Amino acid sequence: MLRESSKISNDAVELSDVTRGLSDATGIANAEILVEFAEAVVQRDFPRVAVARKAVFDALGNDATVDTAAIIAGFHGFVRIADAIGIPYQTAARGEDAAELREQAGISAFYRVREQA
Amino acid sequence: MTQQQQSKSGTSSFDQSSYSIRPDLVESHRKAWEAIGAPGTWLTAERRVAVAAEVRQARQCKFCRQIKEALSPYGVKGSHEHLGALSAPEIELIHRLVNDPGRLSEKWSRSVLDGGVSEGEYVEIVGIIASVSIMDTCTLALGLPDRALPAPGAGEPTRYRPPGARKKAAWLPIVEPPDVVESDGPMYPNPKASYIYRGLSMVPRSMRDYWAMANSHYLPGEIVYQFDKTIRAITRPQTELIAARVSALHQCAY
Repeated sequence: MLRESSKISNDAVELSDVTRGLSDATGIANAEILVEFAEAVVQRDFPRVAVARKAVFDALGNDATVDTAAIIAGFHGFVRIADAIGIPYQTAARGEDAAELREQAGISAFYRVREQA
Repeated sequence: MTQQQQSKSGTSSFDQSSYSIRPDLVESHRKAWEAIGAPGTWLTAERRVAVAAEVRQARQCKFCRQIKEALSPYGVKGSHEHLGALSAPEIELIHRLVNDPGRLSEKWSRSVLDGGVSEGEYVEIVGIIASVSIMDTCTLALGLPDRALPAPGAGEPTRYRPPGARKKAAWLPIVEPPDVVESDGPMYPNPKASYIYRGLSMVPRSMRDYWAMANSHYLPGEIVYQFDKTIRAITRPQTELIAARVSALHQCAY
């Protein structure tokens, strides 16, 4: 989904940034402050969340701040359904993600660890 | 602040917000909390609210912290710090799914079921965990306290199991779109509904409640696969970058 939407908008994306953290190779506007907000929320680091949220608000305004918070939150639910119900990871993105793409993004490594457990 | 406070009034998740919150988001939280406080399909309202309370309790559990830090998540000895309202396998399901979802296994899910949690209860509990996780994370992200839990309503669970629910590729039974029957009620917006959408389908009401709320956070199903479209105030690549990063931090492909 990230690759497809970025292709359409001509935004540069380094897929491995998804697992390794943001690099200069990803050229999506305001990526740094948005990803910092997301990471702070996932860590439940309240002071860091406050600083990150203010940065998003100052750069993008009220509606973008609310929508970013909501999107971050949404992916705290989807992952739990997938993981608890045991939905095969190959079906993510309706099964349209090629194995090489998952490999490139570093996602396959998560599931290799699980299979070895 | 190291721990999320809980709102005292609890009439809306966003009562104390200094941001202007879009009405559909406010309404989706209101309806989802109302649903959590009502009798479900397999759980009474008291147990549903107890699950929501345990989700919050799990965030403080020291044993879960030890598990999260351990190389092998199933080798740590100890017990969860819980509220005492639910059974041991229910507590195990809630605490692991809240704190270490990326390292669950089919063997572990079978152990929860073998411990006495029925498939329907398991799926319904997962739906509540996922819903509370979204709503509490949304308020946290906006600097707001957790909303007060609803008071449990009266009534009995319906105990409806869809006749088309079958275990195939996933660990728990799923109702595939061609197997939906009228008594299931509204299920899929289209026959190509994604697998993640089907995840809670063994408990149709949980599935409906969950997606009605979740769609107001990310994107509605009809837009998700139209990659040039969004209805949010950030661009679609910005949306997908955030989504992918959050999923990756949870060690998940979804």
